[in-house]
Amino acid sequence: MANLIEIKISNKIPEIEHVCEEITRFSRQYAVPDKDIFTLHLAIDEILTNIISYGYSDKDEHYIEIRYTLEKDYLKLEIIDDSNPFDPADAPEPDVDSNLADRKIGGLGIYLIKNMMDEINYSSKNGKNTLVLTKKCKHK
Amino acid sequence: MQVNIEKIENINIYSIEGNLDSNTSGDLEKKLIPVIDANNTKFILDFSELNYISSAGLRVLLGAAKKLNQYSGKMILCSVKDDIKEVFEIAGLLPIFPIVDDPEAAAQKILQ
Repeated sequence: MANLIEIKISNKIPEIEHVCEEITRFSRQYAVPDKDIFTLHLAIDEILTNIISYGYSDKDEHYIEIRYTLEKDYLKLEIIDDSNPFDPADAPEPDVDSNLADRKIGGLGIYLIKNMMDEINYSSKNGKNTLVLTKKCKHK
Repeated sequence: MQVNIEKIENINIYSIEGNLDSNTSGDLEKKLIPVIDANNTKFILDFSELNYISSAGLRVLLGAAKKLNQYSGKMILCSVKDDIKEVFEIAGLLPIFPIVDDPEAAAQKILQ
């Protein structure tokens, strides 16, 4: 049976840290390598920051669900929210080869996740976004 | 995140501890960007106690590098953990931010 943890937070930036702490604690129980925990931390931080900072058109309280599953030989992170639809695949790629003067400040977060996770799938249904990220991982 | 700031001669040394993310990068921004001027152009960022950086942290560093560029300044990073170095590599920031092994090497490089 897969090992699973589910966390629900409201759309506040300081909540992100709690999610990262919970996921790290859970990962350590199953001996997930530190390198993969770092990547997970980055993915959660970047995605939740984007949703909370830019995803809502109102000032209301919203909830975001984070589901983290350790499958046999990979890890899976699912993020479900009701923010404005946004498929990371549509995000413009930053020019990571430009020099300092031309370098735009921003757009790096999604680019980092795309490069560090194995797969990212986005879907939108009935006003809910679901983002599923997976990465191969050896754990206990 | 904690920032310890030291000034030795004309070099500003920032030792950054903990996580540099969306929650904390604003704090570093306030402590770093306004300090950069014609008289403060040499910066060493010691990452030996830094465990994590996100794009929010990279944005602050890029902003600092851009401002330093106006004064022909220099910023050197040292003691950077492998996971963090990989983030700089993927983001294509290694040509912009010189990374050296330790504070001594950073001091040597900044005085070159």
